[in-house]
Amino acid sequence: MEQLALVQGDDAEAWAADAVLTIVGRPQRRVEGAAKVTGRARYTHDIRLPGTLHARILRSPHPRARVRHVDASRALALAGVRGVLHRFNTPKTAFRGEETIFREEVRFVGDEVAAVAADTEAIAEAALSLIVVDYEVLPHVVDLEEAIDAASPRIDEKGNVLDADRYERGDVRKEFAAADVVVEGTYRTSTQLHNSLETHGAVAVWDGDQLTVYESTQHVFGVREGLRNALHLPLANIRVLCDHMGGGFGSKGGIGKYTIVAALFAREIGAPVRCVLDRHEENVAAGNRSATLQRVRAAGKDGRITAIAHESWSNVGQARWVADPTGPTKGLYDVPNVLAHAHRVLTNTGSLAAFRAPGYVEGTFALESAIDELADGMGVDPLALRRRHAGSQVDPVSKMRYSLKRLVDCYDIGAEEIGWSRRARGGLRGSAPGLRRGLGMASQLWSGGGTPPAYATVHLNPDGTAVVRIGTQDIGTGTRTVIAQVCAEELGIDVRGVRVEIGDTDAPYAPISAGSLTVASITPAVRLAAKDAREQLLDVASGVLEVGRAELRVEGGAVVSRGARTPIAKVFEDLENYTVIGKGSRMPNPDDIVLKTFGAHFAEVEVDPATGMVVVERVVAVHDVGRIVDPLTARSQVEGGVIQALGFALSEERVVDKPTGRVLTSGLETYKVPTVRDVPRIVVRFVDVPDTVANNVGAKGLGEPPIIPAAAAVANAVANGLGVRIRHLPLTPRRVLDALAAAS
Amino acid sequence: MKPFTYVRATSVAEASRMVVAGSAPLAGGTDLLGLMKGGIASPARLVDLGGIDGLNGWSRERGAGLRIGALTPLVDLETSDQLARHLPIVREALRDTATLQLRNAGTVGGNLLQRNRCWYFRDAAIQCWLKGGTQCFAKEGENEHHAIIGTARGCNRVAPSDLAPALIAHDARVTLTSTRGTRSVLLADLFTDPALHSREEHTLRRGEILTEVQVPESGLQRRGTYLKAMERKTWSFALVSVAVAARIRGGKLRDPRIVLGGVAPVPWRVEAAEAEIDGHPFSDDLARRAADLLLADAAPLAKNGYKVPLAKELVRRALARIAAA
Amino acid sequence: MPTVRPSGPGAVDVELDVNGIRTPLHVAPHTTLLDALREDVGLLGAKKVCDEGTCGACTLLVDGRAVYACMTLAVACAGRSVETVEGLARDGELHPVQEAFIAHDAFQCGFCTPGQIMSVVALLRATPSPSADEVMRAVSGNLCRCGAYPNIVEAALAAARKGKERP
Repeated sequence: MEQLALVQGDDAEAWAADAVLTIVGRPQRRVEGAAKVTGRARYTHDIRLPGTLHARILRSPHPRARVRHVDASRALALAGVRGVLHRFNTPKTAFRGEETIFREEVRFVGDEVAAVAADTEAIAEAALSLIVVDYEVLPHVVDLEEAIDAASPRIDEKGNVLDADRYERGDVRKEFAAADVVVEGTYRTSTQLHNSLETHGAVAVWDGDQLTVYESTQHVFGVREGLRNALHLPLANIRVLCDHMGGGFGSKGGIGKYTIVAALFAREIGAPVRCVLDRHEENVAAGNRSATLQRVRAAGKDGRITAIAHESWSNVGQARWVADPTGPTKGLYDVPNVLAHAHRVLTNTGSLAAFRAPGYVEGTFALESAIDELADGMGVDPLALRRRHAGSQVDPVSKMRYSLKRLVDCYDIGAEEIGWSRRARGGLRGSAPGLRRGLGMASQLWSGGGTPPAYATVHLNPDGTAVVRIGTQDIGTGTRTVIAQVCAEELGIDVRGVRVEIGDTDAPYAPISAGSLTVASITPAVRLAAKDAREQLLDVASGVLEVGRAELRVEGGAVVSRGARTPIAKVFEDLENYTVIGKGSRMPNPDDIVLKTFGAHFAEVEVDPATGMVVVERVVAVHDVGRIVDPLTARSQVEGGVIQALGFALSEERVVDKPTGRVLTSGLETYKVPTVRDVPRIVVRFVDVPDTVANNVGAKGLGEPPIIPAAAAVANAVANGLGVRIRHLPLTPRRVLDALAAAS
Repeated sequence: MKPFTYVRATSVAEASRMVVAGSAPLAGGTDLLGLMKGGIASPARLVDLGGIDGLNGWSRERGAGLRIGALTPLVDLETSDQLARHLPIVREALRDTATLQLRNAGTVGGNLLQRNRCWYFRDAAIQCWLKGGTQCFAKEGENEHHAIIGTARGCNRVAPSDLAPALIAHDARVTLTSTRGTRSVLLADLFTDPALHSREEHTLRRGEILTEVQVPESGLQRRGTYLKAMERKTWSFALVSVAVAARIRGGKLRDPRIVLGGVAPVPWRVEAAEAEIDGHPFSDDLARRAADLLLADAAPLAKNGYKVPLAKELVRRALARIAAA
Repeated sequence: MPTVRPSGPGAVDVELDVNGIRTPLHVAPHTTLLDALREDVGLLGAKKVCDEGTCGACTLLVDGRAVYACMTLAVACAGRSVETVEGLARDGELHPVQEAFIAHDAFQCGFCTPGQIMSVVALLRATPSPSADEVMRAVSGNLCRCGAYPNIVEAALAAARKGKERP
């Protein structure tokens, strides 16, 4: 799709690889650090407005049913109850392609049926049980593979299995026939739950026809757009705020039904209304990474991969989109013949939401497992086989050149660090008798080049401090900090002199904090705004100091000319409240060039075949994401991605009871995210070469890359160590023991 | 949580009087409050035992065994080097019990009396047999964590406590006090025999307060160890756990105990398995024979067959460990 | 002859010592310490993430021990000392553990951070020079979904090395 972006002015020359930068590229403490360690940081959960009412949501106890009647009279009679919303009394409010937030046919256990607003959360909760709903229970199916089966109840008139995307290049059929070696595997991944620690939620308050919503979100502007569509308000009447937020991982891309519930109640009752999900609601109704079933065939001939066919089925709940797992198959390796076919499968379970590298995590596991199986079949080292297809500087899908691709460098660095030369077919002996040790690796492909539009302003105050305003949000990645760094670097002031104002739709637009978009989208705009401010400052300084403009520069908070330093405050001293306002916008990406990020993970594991325990001892994560703006937060980002991937690989699994459709693992005791003790030694390395073609900062995104290859690398390491491949994640003791029993 | 009245007892007698129908005793609260929040329990009155003196701490009198007050926080047992010399298995069992915060609050009595973790039982919307319904949803359902042995009609739960198998392996007894008097029972008998088809997990009677755990001198003579398999490295209930204890004389295992957690509705012992090894020096073969006897009646469900080899391996390792120590 | 009268189910008076301040509360017996602090005292540092004792985000100290505030009844804390993350900094100066968390980037979204910090503070009081294993055991009941764990361990060890933990 053509990108259309209206921008002002010219771009700045990208900082060159050898540019001497004093703030960008150096470790920087998070600017919001003190707020977070003192408990002072305010999250949506912490918003306390006087007179706030509390909303709770009644959720369907059935996986599929028609709501025939709702009787809320007893709930309304309860003292402290201020209102009840359900499908028979709620105005049409568009939500994700549907006309209303309360469906006539509820589609999963947890689907929204009604909502109560009351003086306290406890009263609202108590009132839920007083609402009488007449359900006509309908046949359901919750399991992916059962839903695919034609004999299962059809939950959509078009059927449960819907085509999503088909792609082909070359002639796969011919190459499979001509191949020396063909491997075929069926891979399964389980539903992963985001479990952001701050659950989804919103607080809405009206002042006349002005709506303010506090929401835990990755996109304040997306929430504004959702409210505009649902409530038909002018954008000027909506303000969305998100100061701090407790994690999203893709699931907080826009409004939720709770947002609309809060806004409707707040308008109807005339008081602020808070609607925040509890942990169990979060895990049934706020999104997930789809479970997948994937079949991969791969063919090899003369030491090269000649063809890959990848077909996938994803359990999307009722979603109208699918997180396509075949992306890596299409684009990661320079393989001439590829067939990819993704299917969307409807079930009566909570729908997917984007989850950090949606599709790519699942797909990389299947693809990279199959590549290892092919390498084994061909009798070649799996890394050596990948190298033959990783060096091309041309994107195999678009046939355009990459702006920068250092995937082979990632292999070199990672192989050296992990000691890949020790890897042996059939694995290594472990640290104690009976234990097996294995090495595995996998590659990463993702976008991350960023996009317009994004706008920023920089106000340079008379004392030489600055305020950056941009409507992005910090979802925990360190966005505030990199903004401050880029602003300070460009402006020539101390980073501590920069205040960053974000999380507010009254600030200039910025894109969603997702898709590894943030740094590459917003920092170039921030840089241009700072540059604009600096140039205006120099104009003023030239006049005040009576020195030629060309002889001046800003450095360390002072205007410097030959031999003289004038602090910015001094320049402005006699100008009263003169304020410099710099503006910047994100320029379009270059035409005819593909912006991607690359990386490779190497894992070393020890497996106990007698107990099924898998211990990941070390992960080496190497990424090629352009310039690293803050090495401290970048390392954190990679460690966090690896750890989330390890949960996906080893322990995280949504379990749904088939007859009742209930999620049995909706709490944090049964749904096992990694604890501190599950974390291996993680070695983080960056190629750290700025992508000067991509944007004026040279940085690309790093949110998603580190979660993409880790599970595949671990699975390959386990297969290497055990000599048995387990094609179903997570690799719990049960799966390991069952696989070993089946193999013997 | 439903509202309730709250009263703080100052003596066991007072507590016993107040724990009437509809009341529940509150110690650390780490299980009870979870049950109440989940809608599984809704007592009208909580009787806080926290103000009762004399139930917190442990003592060892030569010849008289070890006494542990029921209100002793788990963490105090875990971190006591002195206790670890008398009964090292307690530290081994508690180190990976729940989390530090839960061990700080949770008590010995509460740990032994905690209710099972079956995810059907813990879901208030599911009326399973144990909660008065007619069927066990796990039997044909998602049963990877459920019992493989010792289940009678109705319920496939597993006993969740780490401490119970460890203490049973050392022949621990518990003291139960009520207004009707005091009785001492084997800890093993605190768990309702599944064959009785009872919907109570414990044999505690109404008004009884668990006040003390005793480990007899003979139990302290055994060398014991505890192993636990989990789905992550910590903060998990056992997939399978095993406590073994025996006197080691002349390289031979004497008077052994093997107790499994996570496999049956109660901590699981089979006397024939213990008899098999009694008086013999450890060997892998001996351990395998014992494990086979211990699990001879195992009848796994569709998704928990893995527990059989896992339990056997843990038994072998645990016996090897005490034999080698 | 009952010597003690049950209170509730309506609100009752209790007095807690919160960060060294005598804090009278009027709460129902089923009010958790977490809800009492967040809704009645206005201390919002401890977070409600699971509300069932599984995640650690509400960790604080009662009589010096780290516990889950969501699994503690406010009435059961009458007369006891409660320490929250808000009580750590003194005279505008961060506690060494807080300082170390910033220096070592031991958080991302920050939602688990107050709980992590309280767990580390409790550890360092009892064990001023912990091993990495001891640190991990102390915070293994504090889940971090962003995966800041390696830095949390580093921060705790660094704070210990500085040896500035106040008694």
